[in-house]
Amino acid sequence: MREATVAVPLARPLLSRRARQRLSGYVYLAPVVVVLGGTIVFPILKAMHMSLYNHVLIRPQEYRFIGLGNYARLLRDETFWLTLWNSLVWVFGSVCVQFLGGFAAALLLHQSFRGRGFVRTVTLLPWIVPGVVVALVWEWLYQPNYGVINDLLFRLGWLKERVAWLSDPALAMPAVIAANVWRGVPFFAIMLLAGLQAIPDEQYEAARVDGASVTQRFVHITLPMLRPIIIVATATRVIWTFNYADLIFVMTSGGPANATQITSTYTLLMAYSNLDFGYAATLSVVLLVIMLVFTVLYLRITRGIESVT
Amino acid sequence: MSRLRGDLIERALGGPVLWGGLACLTAFALGPFLWVFLTSLKTRAELYATPLRYLPASLTVANYIDAWTSPLTPFSRFFANSLWVSSVTMVATTAIAVLAGYALARFRFGGRDVLLLVFLATQMFPAVLLIAPLLSQWHALGLIDTYQALIYSNFSFTVPFTVWMLVGYFDSIPRELEESALIDGCGRFGALCRVVLPLAAPGVAATAIFAFVTSWSELLFAITFTSQTEMRTLSAGLLFMVGQYEIQWGQLSAGVMISTVPVAVLFTYLQRHLIRGLSAGALKG
Repeated sequence: MREATVAVPLARPLLSRRARQRLSGYVYLAPVVVVLGGTIVFPILKAMHMSLYNHVLIRPQEYRFIGLGNYARLLRDETFWLTLWNSLVWVFGSVCVQFLGGFAAALLLHQSFRGRGFVRTVTLLPWIVPGVVVALVWEWLYQPNYGVINDLLFRLGWLKERVAWLSDPALAMPAVIAANVWRGVPFFAIMLLAGLQAIPDEQYEAARVDGASVTQRFVHITLPMLRPIIIVATATRVIWTFNYADLIFVMTSGGPANATQITSTYTLLMAYSNLDFGYAATLSVVLLVIMLVFTVLYLRITRGIESVT
Repeated sequence: MSRLRGDLIERALGGPVLWGGLACLTAFALGPFLWVFLTSLKTRAELYATPLRYLPASLTVANYIDAWTSPLTPFSRFFANSLWVSSVTMVATTAIAVLAGYALARFRFGGRDVLLLVFLATQMFPAVLLIAPLLSQWHALGLIDTYQALIYSNFSFTVPFTVWMLVGYFDSIPRELEESALIDGCGRFGALCRVVLPLAAPGVAATAIFAFVTSWSELLFAITFTSQTEMRTLSAGLLFMVGQYEIQWGQLSAGVMISTVPVAVLFTYLQRHLIRGLSAGALKG
């Protein structure tokens, strides 16, 4: 036998349903707001504040407000302008070669062959290992006396005497870029592979039936279909490479004679080695502005792509 | 005639070119690791022999034992530090990001689109930018040489990425499933825990592991916010080892292998999920 139930009107809640929903939304977001406020937003405001002071940790007696003094120093600082140029070389060199290598790798990995899963995983390894590991691995490969690169070139007869790759001002930048290429090729490979997998096979089949050659199929199907992902991947990589400091910091610390000093390692050195917080904060603010310009451009580009596809 | 030539090119591309390319690719990716691995198994005499010996005559694990137990650079301690910092970062990040991701995917409120943009933009933020202000902030709070300083700092890059990924995962789960749970008397939070999370579990696990891997690799915060040897993580410990009088490449190579193997293992699991996520959004690293 069923028990009879009586309908009782619910007490009217204090807040309307909509207001409650809105409020609970903010409750769910509270932790993330606290965390990012404390680790990103507040530190950035703090950096802007610090950039207005002469603030060298080891000389506390000289701590005072200097207005835009640090920014004037920045404009006169020849090393800063050099680091901007070096950043350009570093980003352009790294991203171009990474893209070409990654594209070739993606095309290879897209084919079906035995052991594909294994090769894919192996190819991606350089990308996920810690940055300091990449730096140390390459430092050891480049080592003048016991490094395998010198030894191989020597045995092949391409070198007459041992080369100090990382302490020669002319060779240091290409050397660190090569290490960065090793690290970045997998990134482009994985992104472009995802793009290749999204192209329907029917398109290739149809083109083949119509008698299109390999090159024609590549130019008229593969490239246009990959265009959006190529742009997104390249833009992401440009921003990321511009900011990336670990590799150069460990391998050369920006040396020899600032030959590999990029803006982000320069900022790091000012804070970490010179303990010149005021100037480091000024460099951070400038980096932030450059970053924001990049990011706005990036969002424009990706938005454009989303509306097309 | 041109048809025939086309066939020839295609056959060459499918055969010798493919295999040659794959061999080069594998050698390029794996070669440097292999060299460091060989180095880690060599004795000191073999390491610095002229001419260079490629294969060790006798394998030794002495470098691993030395690195692990050395009082100067104790990798056992570094390993434990890295494990603790990365694990706590991973768990806390996931908890924070699940709540935020769910709210952004399901609730409508003012400023939602702006917040989403902020999460995308902060993924591009460089760690160097935060070094000076965070250092003075942790200094003022007395958090230098504590795990907290490293864990809080790691949030600055793990949280935005994880939230961004989770919004996508939650969006892909049909709302009807939750709505029936809500009608059955579950609260919002109940619906999240009992309906949405189990369905999104693979995605949540993948992002959590990614947070772990990125924290494990983190270097700049780790060297700036710690000064005592026993507080160093693996990345910071490796760099510290380089700073010692003379680089012990044998021990250092062993240390490199110790720091690499855990992330490599985790990554093989991640790979499948990452490719999907990558095509969906931007990624740091």
